[in-house]
Amino acid sequence: MTAKIEFENSKKRIEHIEDVLSSVAAGDLDVRVETTIEDDLTGVEEAINILIEDLTYELKQSKKMREELEEKLSKIEEQQNTILRQQDDLLELSSPVTKVWDNILILPVIGTLDSQRAQIMMENLLHKIVETGCTISILDITGVPTVDTQVANHLLKTVTSARLLGADCIISGISPAIAQTIVHLGIDLSVIRTKATLQDAMIYSMRKNRQLVDGKIKTEHAENEEIEN
Amino acid sequence: MDLALHEKKIPIIKIHDFLIVSIQVDMHDKLAIQLQAQILEEIEKTGAKGVLIDISVLEMVDSFIGRMLSGMASMASIMDAAVVIVGMQPAVAITLVELGLEMPGVDTALNMEKGIEMLQERLDSEFI
Repeated sequence: MTAKIEFENSKKRIEHIEDVLSSVAAGDLDVRVETTIEDDLTGVEEAINILIEDLTYELKQSKKMREELEEKLSKIEEQQNTILRQQDDLLELSSPVTKVWDNILILPVIGTLDSQRAQIMMENLLHKIVETGCTISILDITGVPTVDTQVANHLLKTVTSARLLGADCIISGISPAIAQTIVHLGIDLSVIRTKATLQDAMIYSMRKNRQLVDGKIKTEHAENEEIEN
Repeated sequence: MDLALHEKKIPIIKIHDFLIVSIQVDMHDKLAIQLQAQILEEIEKTGAKGVLIDISVLEMVDSFIGRMLSGMASMASIMDAAVVIVGMQPAVAITLVELGLEMPGVDTALNMEKGIEMLQERLDSEFI
């Protein structure tokens, strides 16, 4: 009789363990196996309780870590967006074409040139030439540290395209390093007019415009005065 | 077909010593060849010293038209007439350079006014 009652009790306890395990599997980590009697099954029940505690702890840890990772990821994405935006800004800012005198445009280039930037620069310059009707443009590369074959090629293309439009393009401020690279790369720049400094280029263009007579700047105002005298 | 092409003939206007050709339609190969012959005939007939070709409305110039233009410059120069290409668009210039058609020996000007000035100056200096 006692054996039968004991068996019934054990069966109930095992069923209870099963219930607890299934609710843990379903995600409810607050349940524990309740024990009242000390016997052989108690050890199993306690071990299950400890396992549930451990599992709860591990799950909490991993959740925390996942949150941290997500936070970091979103930060990285944000930074990447900033970089992309700044690159666009840089491209826009990096090729200012300015009219400095009647008939003279200047495009000062600062920083390293890559193909994309050189292309945008060329398009900007050509559009500005058409827009302003200036026949002389000066490409000042004093601020460019080095050039490679592609960039040198782009400079050549810019000058040739400007010529096709009907404008002269002068390159000024070629540094010794760039001169060496260009000659070593075997690029022929003899078809392009180059001047040492921006000043030389300006003097040349103004002479060509017949705006500079005997080292003096001839303006319309001065011309009028001459006529009056 | 021939009649349709004939109707689309590009007008060539003579002003003093120059011929002015203003291309207002999209160029196709046949029209280009026809224009070339037409201009050369006109040079012979009028004894013009310069030809100004205005391509400011052309948004597309392919390698054929590019070669036709540079070829025409050398043909006209043997007939003692200078050819000036006027008003090329930036996109066209970039395309031509990318195609490797840098048109050496062809003079270019930003607009018709500057082209005429250029030819006039050259003509004046020849007679001095």
